[in-house]
Amino acid sequence: MPEIRVTPLGAGQDVGRSCILVSIAGKNVMLDCGMHMGFNDDRRFPDFSYITRNGRLTDFLDCVIISHFHLDHCGALPYFSEMVGYDGPIYMTHPTQAICPILLEDYRKIAVDKKGEANFFTSQMIKDCMKKVVAVHLHQTVQVDDELEIKAYYAGHVLGAAMFQIKVGSESVVYTGDYNMTPDRHLGAAWIDKCRPNLLITESTYATTIRDSKRCRERDFLKKVHEAVEHGGKVLIPVFALGRAQELCILLETFWERMNLKAPIYFSTGLTEKANHYYKLFITWTNQKIRKTFVQRNMFEFKHIKAFDRAFADNPGPMVVFATPGMLHAGQSLQIFRKWAGNEKNMVIMPGYCVQGTVGHKILSGQRKLEMEGRQVLEVKMQVEYMSFSAHADAKGIMQLVGQAEPESVLLVHGEAKKMEFLKQKIEQEFRVNCYMPANGETVTLPTSPSIPVGISLGLLKREMAQGLLPDAKKPRLLHGTLIMKDSNFRLVSSEQALKELGLAEHQLRFTCRVHLHDPRKEQETAMRVYSHLKSVLKDHCVQHLPDGSVTVESILIQAAAHSEDPGTKVLLVSWTYQDEELGSYLTSLLKKGLPQAPS
Amino acid sequence: MDPECSQLLPALCAVLADPRQPMADDTCLEKLLDWFKTITEAGSSLLLLQENPCLVELLCHMLKPQDLSSRVLSFSLRLTGVLAAQEDCFQYLQQGELLPKLFGEAGPLGGAAWTSPAVRSGWIQGLRSLAQHASALHFLAHCGAVDTIFSLQEDSSLFVASAAGQLLVHILGLSMQGPAGGPPSLQAGDWPACAQKIVGHIEESLRATATPQITQALNVLTTTFGHCHNPWTQVLWVQLSPLVAGLLEKDPIPAAHSLVDLLLSVARSPGLSSSSCGLWETLAQTLSHLSPTQAGPLALGILKLQDCPQALRAQAFAVLLQPLACVFKAMAQDPGPSGVPDGTVGGSMTAGVPLPSKAACVGLLCRSLAHLELLLPLPQRPCPWPQAPLLGAAVTLLQLCGGSARPACDMGRHLCTLLLGCVRVQRAALDFLGALSDGTGPRELVTQVFAVLLEYLRSPDSSPTVLKKAFQATFRWLLNSPKTPGCWDLDPHALLFLRDLLPVLQKRLCSPCWEVRDSSLEFLTQMTRHWGGQAGFRHALLASEVPKLTEQLLRDPESYVRASAVTAMGQLSSQGLCVPPAGPEHQGGQQKSLLVELLHILSTDSEGFPRRAVMQVFTQWLRDSHADVAGDTEQFVAGVLQVASQDLDWEVRAQGLELALVFLEQTLGQPRSHCPHAVTPPVEAPVGPLAQALQPLCRVRLFDFAFRALFDCDRPVAQKSCDLLLFLRAQTASSSSLQESRSSPDVASVEAALQRWQAGDQAQPLGDLEPEVVLAVVRSLDLEGLRGALAESSDHVEKSPQSLLQDMLATVGVLGENEADCY
Repeated sequence: MPEIRVTPLGAGQDVGRSCILVSIAGKNVMLDCGMHMGFNDDRRFPDFSYITRNGRLTDFLDCVIISHFHLDHCGALPYFSEMVGYDGPIYMTHPTQAICPILLEDYRKIAVDKKGEANFFTSQMIKDCMKKVVAVHLHQTVQVDDELEIKAYYAGHVLGAAMFQIKVGSESVVYTGDYNMTPDRHLGAAWIDKCRPNLLITESTYATTIRDSKRCRERDFLKKVHEAVEHGGKVLIPVFALGRAQELCILLETFWERMNLKAPIYFSTGLTEKANHYYKLFITWTNQKIRKTFVQRNMFEFKHIKAFDRAFADNPGPMVVFATPGMLHAGQSLQIFRKWAGNEKNMVIMPGYCVQGTVGHKILSGQRKLEMEGRQVLEVKMQVEYMSFSAHADAKGIMQLVGQAEPESVLLVHGEAKKMEFLKQKIEQEFRVNCYMPANGETVTLPTSPSIPVGISLGLLKREMAQGLLPDAKKPRLLHGTLIMKDSNFRLVSSEQALKELGLAEHQLRFTCRVHLHDPRKEQETAMRVYSHLKSVLKDHCVQHLPDGSVTVESILIQAAAHSEDPGTKVLLVSWTYQDEELGSYLTSLLKKGLPQAPS
Repeated sequence: MDPECSQLLPALCAVLADPRQPMADDTCLEKLLDWFKTITEAGSSLLLLQENPCLVELLCHMLKPQDLSSRVLSFSLRLTGVLAAQEDCFQYLQQGELLPKLFGEAGPLGGAAWTSPAVRSGWIQGLRSLAQHASALHFLAHCGAVDTIFSLQEDSSLFVASAAGQLLVHILGLSMQGPAGGPPSLQAGDWPACAQKIVGHIEESLRATATPQITQALNVLTTTFGHCHNPWTQVLWVQLSPLVAGLLEKDPIPAAHSLVDLLLSVARSPGLSSSSCGLWETLAQTLSHLSPTQAGPLALGILKLQDCPQALRAQAFAVLLQPLACVFKAMAQDPGPSGVPDGTVGGSMTAGVPLPSKAACVGLLCRSLAHLELLLPLPQRPCPWPQAPLLGAAVTLLQLCGGSARPACDMGRHLCTLLLGCVRVQRAALDFLGALSDGTGPRELVTQVFAVLLEYLRSPDSSPTVLKKAFQATFRWLLNSPKTPGCWDLDPHALLFLRDLLPVLQKRLCSPCWEVRDSSLEFLTQMTRHWGGQAGFRHALLASEVPKLTEQLLRDPESYVRASAVTAMGQLSSQGLCVPPAGPEHQGGQQKSLLVELLHILSTDSEGFPRRAVMQVFTQWLRDSHADVAGDTEQFVAGVLQVASQDLDWEVRAQGLELALVFLEQTLGQPRSHCPHAVTPPVEAPVGPLAQALQPLCRVRLFDFAFRALFDCDRPVAQKSCDLLLFLRAQTASSSSLQESRSSPDVASVEAALQRWQAGDQAQPLGDLEPEVVLAVVRSLDLEGLRGALAESSDHVEKSPQSLLQDMLATVGVLGENEADCY
């Protein structure tokens, strides 16, 4: 029985690191290859030993697909390809291909810098890994091999984020990655056609949440920044190089322009410059408004936002600084934070999630006295604000997508178990489909009924058409032919054509039967009596008496022979082809009744 | 446990026991358990429990019927196991009946929590930690845990099922240690009851008809023979081998992959005498029964064994060669110039199974090539090694995939249709071909190798990954091409090939695909590094457009390519292979030197990769006394350090300090020990006054950079600076002539500046420094202390257990909106 199997190695009832194995019609695909930022050891990566036990990775896996550039979806990729040894193709969209190495490099630098990790992937490994990437366009059907094809759909969430349809023959799976069903300032809403996959694997981060309008959060953010700057304070916004930084830059740039504000806004590293470059380059991936205004003014050409120099942090007066990394755990953002933390006029706005152990996590949980290196205690007097700008579909959005794609089954990943449970019930009730939520390491197996396409030869079709009415899609019709499989394709052809194509000779299958007759006459005379009898009974058939003494009726052959033991009995050998089976049976039964008495 | 943590622990245990307080971060409990493991490894678990009664209270709390978080319950089970690993602590927990309640039927095992894989996994891991002593074994036998473990082998979670198997192996090993630690009986009938029960279960599973059950049994045995080499394992194998051999009689053979793993694990086990157990016969039988795809890994494993009968090795090798033999057979009637050997060399390449569908054919060929590639460098590879037929096979495969093969028979044409344009086979064959370069081959065949490589390098259909592998294989073949004795230059044939290759390289350097441009530059750098000094290579390269194109790629839009171009240009320049621009636009004007160009990249490139590449080139140039540098080294070093010290990328700053260190070594005339932390004995100061020797270092403002870098916000930069200054101090330790400068006002002002920098104020520059001041400051700094502090990862404070406990406690009640957030 064909089946689809799904095993999450990560993102099964958690939001740590996405890595989902899918087996579909004998093809094995890995969806995302993420890293957990909360661990400093091998636990940050998915446990790939469950794949390597199946033999060489490159032989086992047909391809890896990366949905978007966030590290919890692509962070383990260089480790997987350059250290574990996967040498096959990796698919992602063009913007993801461009941006992914920046974030990987950013993370590598922090890992080596801050944690002193020597056994981590190198720049060269990131580059070698990126060379294995095959970039795809939206809605482009890409043939991974003769049977496996993939297609990307717009997912919103971040620049270049995509949902992927994986298809082998008539079986298909859609993986959403992370997506957002409502457009924001720089990205559009996710969209997929009614592709009716066997399975939809969807993220469920906000499985039970109906998110308030992002506009409210944006207003709140601007109000807070504005107030701090008005009071002469400095505002630090720790960000990762890409994604949220660009969104907030657009917000601030527009606000500064509108309010005619003079306080400087800085980016702390060159990374963000490159990020902006990519946002300009991939303008088609942004939302309609940005695309429309692009002709007059590129939204990413910032007038008010300038590159940061380390000395600027000591400048007097208000300013806003975007600095990496986003969790305040190393580098520039932490250095600026240490300088500014003591002043209550200043403000730090954390626009994203922070893992335990980072300064970002500590201040968000309300800790105000932080122990730093050398037993120094840093007292945090500055204002600490948290603003969630993460762009995931909420419960309503997830339901909307399920309705849009019309899958046969749904599988939830990238969420918390309890919330998934709630959404699972909702989906099952509303759409009357099975919904699964496997934990990491659990396999969901879905039986499928693949439809196998069969071609029909024109000759056979014409012949059938000639015999009957025109075909009607609503009325099934019986068709005789020979099913042949050639070059992995099925075709229905006439038996003559099948013989010709397959180079085979036709064999005649004949049924035979012996009928005993009490007749002491010679064989020839018995045969003559049989002929006369049949000629009189079967008036519509061609009955012949052949020179060798045998009698034929259509394809049926009758011969008379003497009985070896009883000279008073004759044996009639009757044989016929399967085409004349009916007539053969009738004739046999007729002869078994005996011959009419001959006139003496 | 330090007092601060002891104080925080009761509150944390209370939070964990409260089902209304969810844990925000799922890594916290993992880290908490890590911490408890560290504590119990270093000291007494019993003492830990007695000093922190809150821990037992937490564990007792888990027994109450309530809506507990599965994560906390799993954590508690694991913690219990960690604590009970010590026998006295085990007894202590037993007294309170805590262990049977947690791990027995009365615990989570019988409750709703058991549906969570996290709880089942915690239960297994807890028992795995706990099973360290005889008391634990007794406990396991009496609480019925072994039966539960048997059933968990079939768990829906891969992780749980796998852990259950591992635990069975562990319990089997533990029970076979015997109660008094003495050697167990070699009669299986006298083995401890627990061991007999497990072996009985394995036997039953091996007799089962369901493949998953057989797989589990085989996996348990594989781990057992892999980890335990005691004599009893031989008894076990003798007892079980008939059942294992029985699997071969089934059609299809169940769990073939696990069966292969087991047989190889047994064959590798030093505790087993292979000949007496009939293992070789079983291996031979398995090889012949398995499908070619399944038999490949077994064949490779057999060939890797140190001692194994020759006949079995021959059989295994034939299995590996079989897919290639089919290719030979298909192409045998090929009359073309690329005709391959008949495939029967040494009798090892015999035609066998026909190649089936495309997917199967491709998979089989790739596996075969990969296995042979792994076998190639091993000393125990088959001898004689059929180098020529294998070379022929690799070439033929590449020709088939590339479309240049002209098969004469139907089977060959069929193969051609299957393999044409197949990237997977191309990649595998190119890797294999590259690996084969370590051996020799007939001249005609080597010519074919170069021809097919050139075909791939030229072909517009070659994908970037295939091209990269073609470059790598080409380099390996050039490196191993026959050389004229006493001459390191390329041989005449290779030079001829080079003439064909360079126009291809030129074309590839202009590829619209960055991956191709980058791989081409990497290839060029490798070639120049090896043959840059050889006349033949130089002549061919200079006659081509390659150096000019490489120079143009310094301005490539892709930063990876710019970085590779910088490295390639650095290499070309070191070998004197840089051609100054000769176009009309350059005539008469001042030609821009490469040094200026690279300095420009260092100061202006927005990406780190090219800037880092420039620093590597400059450091190498300084080491090699490159002509552009040797003219005015001081000016060069001053210019580079000025730019590098301001760089936002800490790796560029760290490389700046590396360059400074090279300059320091050259100036002081003492090469540094290769290990920066090695104790360098004090040496005599260089000839002439020390102050004079240090003057150039002061003039290039090396110390300004180094002192500032000591307090860099990025740890590796500070470490590098520390190493540099320690080196300086060691080099000048014997000189006492400058000691009196220690109390001068200049020294005081530098020290004050350093303190300000340490406090985070980097604004004030140091100004011009005198050597005396530098030495006095270096001697006054606690560089060893600083190095010690830097050696710890800079997040050690945040990673501390106290920080973890504080964070977990601080999160309580403030989850709010952060709760479900992520990226």
